[in-house]
Amino acid sequence: MLKPIVLVEDNPHDLELTLVALERSQLANEVIVLRDGAEALDYLLRQGAYGNRVEGNPAVMLLDLKLPKVDGLEVLKIVRESAELRSIPVVMLTSSREEPDLQRAYELGVNAYVVKPVEFKEFVAAISDLGVFWAVLNEPPPGSLRLQKRPGS
Amino acid sequence: MTSSANQPSATRSDATRSDATSADFAAAAQNCDREPIHIPGSIQPHGFLLVLDEHSLDVLQASENVATWLGLAVDEVVGSSLHRLLIDCASLAARLKALPVDEQHPFHVGDVRFNRGVRAEKPIAMMVHRHDGVLIAEFEPTSDPLAAYGTLYPLVRAFIGQLQDARTIDELCQRAALEVKRMTGFGRVKAYRFDPEGNGLVNAEIADPGYPSYLGLCFPATDIPQQARRLYCANRIRVIEDANYQPSPLEPANNPRTQARLDLSFAALRSVSPVHLQYMRNMGTMASMSISIVVRGELWGLISCHHDSPRPVGFQTRTACELLGSVLSLQIETREAQAGAEHMLNLRHQIVQMLSAMADRDSVREGLLALPETFVGFAGAVGGAVVSESRCELVGQTPPAVEVDALIQWLAEHQPGAEVFASDNVGRDIPQLPSLAEHIGGVLAVAISEIHSHYLIWFKSEKTRTVQWAGRPEKTIAESGALSPRHSFALWQENVSGYSTPWHPLEVEGVAELRTATLGIVLRKAEEMAQMASDLKKSNKELEAFSYSVSHDLRAPLRHIAGYAELLSDMEAEKLSERGVRFLEHIGESARFAGTLVDNLLSFSQMGRAALRLSDVDLGALVDAIRNEMLPDYEGRDLEWQVAPLPVVYADAAFIHLALRNLLSNAIKYTRTREHAKIEINARQTATEVIVSIRDNGVGFDMEYAGKLFGVFQRLHRMEEFEGTGIGLASVRRILERHDGRVWADSALDKGATFFFALPKHLD
Repeated sequence: MLKPIVLVEDNPHDLELTLVALERSQLANEVIVLRDGAEALDYLLRQGAYGNRVEGNPAVMLLDLKLPKVDGLEVLKIVRESAELRSIPVVMLTSSREEPDLQRAYELGVNAYVVKPVEFKEFVAAISDLGVFWAVLNEPPPGSLRLQKRPGS
Repeated sequence: MTSSANQPSATRSDATRSDATSADFAAAAQNCDREPIHIPGSIQPHGFLLVLDEHSLDVLQASENVATWLGLAVDEVVGSSLHRLLIDCASLAARLKALPVDEQHPFHVGDVRFNRGVRAEKPIAMMVHRHDGVLIAEFEPTSDPLAAYGTLYPLVRAFIGQLQDARTIDELCQRAALEVKRMTGFGRVKAYRFDPEGNGLVNAEIADPGYPSYLGLCFPATDIPQQARRLYCANRIRVIEDANYQPSPLEPANNPRTQARLDLSFAALRSVSPVHLQYMRNMGTMASMSISIVVRGELWGLISCHHDSPRPVGFQTRTACELLGSVLSLQIETREAQAGAEHMLNLRHQIVQMLSAMADRDSVREGLLALPETFVGFAGAVGGAVVSESRCELVGQTPPAVEVDALIQWLAEHQPGAEVFASDNVGRDIPQLPSLAEHIGGVLAVAISEIHSHYLIWFKSEKTRTVQWAGRPEKTIAESGALSPRHSFALWQENVSGYSTPWHPLEVEGVAELRTATLGIVLRKAEEMAQMASDLKKSNKELEAFSYSVSHDLRAPLRHIAGYAELLSDMEAEKLSERGVRFLEHIGESARFAGTLVDNLLSFSQMGRAALRLSDVDLGALVDAIRNEMLPDYEGRDLEWQVAPLPVVYADAAFIHLALRNLLSNAIKYTRTREHAKIEINARQTATEVIVSIRDNGVGFDMEYAGKLFGVFQRLHRMEEFEGTGIGLASVRRILERHDGRVWADSALDKGATFFFALPKHLD
């Protein structure tokens, strides 16, 4: 069983386009969609509505910087401060390179960030590359299975 | 002014006052100033003097003329005690104990009687004062106390009563002179006041027939040496009963308490300088008395009494005259203070007028120019100048503008930091600008800025004035190096040129007040500017935050439009008509363009916020890198690069890269239509700047629109001719402004364009 990719995104259009991009990158991982920072924390910490979910961390978390309730940076901070979650690769999705919070994201130990390009083709390429890198190529943290890149991708 | 044959005349420039040089005179005058007149070691013989120990009343010193006055040898008196010399010394001792401790001036303790000698048993008046650690007793013939009550006091009372009626200070002096003459019977009594140089102008006089008149004449300052002036201030009355007196020395010569000559500053009998006695004899004066007029602690003038034969002045008359002098002094002080207050009030009134004019117009310059007469008249001037950074406005009668400019230069160089500069003789005070004196005599200037050379200047014209000296100053220097006074006191006229009327101290003070108030206005304006700048900064920040968030929020929907349009064409293209597909392409293109616009705007706003990271930047290497970077944009074109060696500048590398990239990209873009395109990059250095130019042979632009060139969203070409967002050059300008640099352009339509940018060499 492949570890899932967690996508935390509040904007429905961005969500749909990102899902299309992930779909086009033909990753086999399940994509778990969470719509705000609080829901993301519930999922990660297996609490609230996600209290009964199967144990285990996602392969990668695609985290929008600006989120309702608990914003992306706060989620990232909690992830990095938690012993169980610390090893999750986190990719920040941002609207622009000029984002003042970007610096802060680096300080909090983000693994990568993607500026959502206006050009959809570029976006597909970026998401695809990320998915392949973090969900497939990257050496998984200890305790998780080493994954094979699927043929044809 | 005319001068007749019997009134010799000279101008100060050509007059030689005697054969000796002025330096010799200065030296001799200094000698005169050093003569220790307060310790002459002798007294005038119209009384005698005993120096006493206050407790034992032992006689420590005595004047030699006790021999003539008392018929007692000096060594009989010195070493003795008043107890042994006087009848009923006990009651005297009691009166002495009651003498006020701080009394320095001779005090009439009463009439005493000696018990031996030729005057035994006869009353004699005794005046005492404490000084120099001893009790100094002076003895003079008694005068009838009833005479004092009968004549002196009524005279003084009448004088005080009349003072209120006198309208002017000169009139006050005239009444005082008249009163003194009545009380003393001197042949001529005159009053004079001193000018700032110390010359005494006779302003009141009353004289018996046969006495020459000195009214209106001027006695030079050197007539009264400095230490004599100080003594006049301390001891307000001095009498010389006989210019031919033989001084009577003190025995022993030194005060045994101090082992030095006895200080006779306050003694009525103090012997005077032989030079002064000679001066009196030259003037035909055998007796004299001087009463000091002291105003605000300074010797303001004198009432001077002369008589052609020796003349005694009893101590009661002296006391009455001294009292009169004090009343006159107080009265003059009051009048002057009152006149000063009125003058100042008037000046302040005019200052307020000028200030309100400045406030109305919110400009120092315009405010003053709106009230030219007040501005010039308030300082008693004939013309003025208002000097600000860029201009110099002249009002009224002034030197030509070039002279005023030179004066401003001079003020900045020679009077830096001076608040007020005043001269009533520019020829003497500003020797560097000799031609200034051809136009004016006096200058009064104030700096009204701490930083800039902003001045307010007033001018007075030169007035040749005639001084009526009391005698041609012809003091000669004796072998000893001492001054010998002149022999004639007849009118001698001197024309003094180069001077304006002096600037009244209150006018100078008023000008200083105007300066302070003006500085206040300038300061308030500066504060307003600072406030405005800080408001502007704040609203600029808000605007940046706003534009950032707008750009940010705009980007998402644009991304969605582009994304969906692309998905639509990917997935549903076969269902659309050819036009439909084309429309969809336009939607995508427009969204992408709008996205670029937003990106550029974001980076533009970033440029205003980000801190500069300064380092050495090699412009040559930068140009090479940009050329490589942009190769895809001009590949296959005939484009010739001519890049001169470029300097290393100190700047923010990323920003300068962006600015150069924008300029080069423009040059590449706008030469696109040229068969043979050419881009030249040059640099030159001035003392303060590095200037880089980028010249192309492209389509250029009309200089009429040059002003718009560097504005945000300003485009001078149609989109289908040359694409662009209209932010590139705005970014270039912002980057250079952040570096305290400049950017400008030169072009003609279809003749290519040259863009210049200048970076300061030393960036703080």
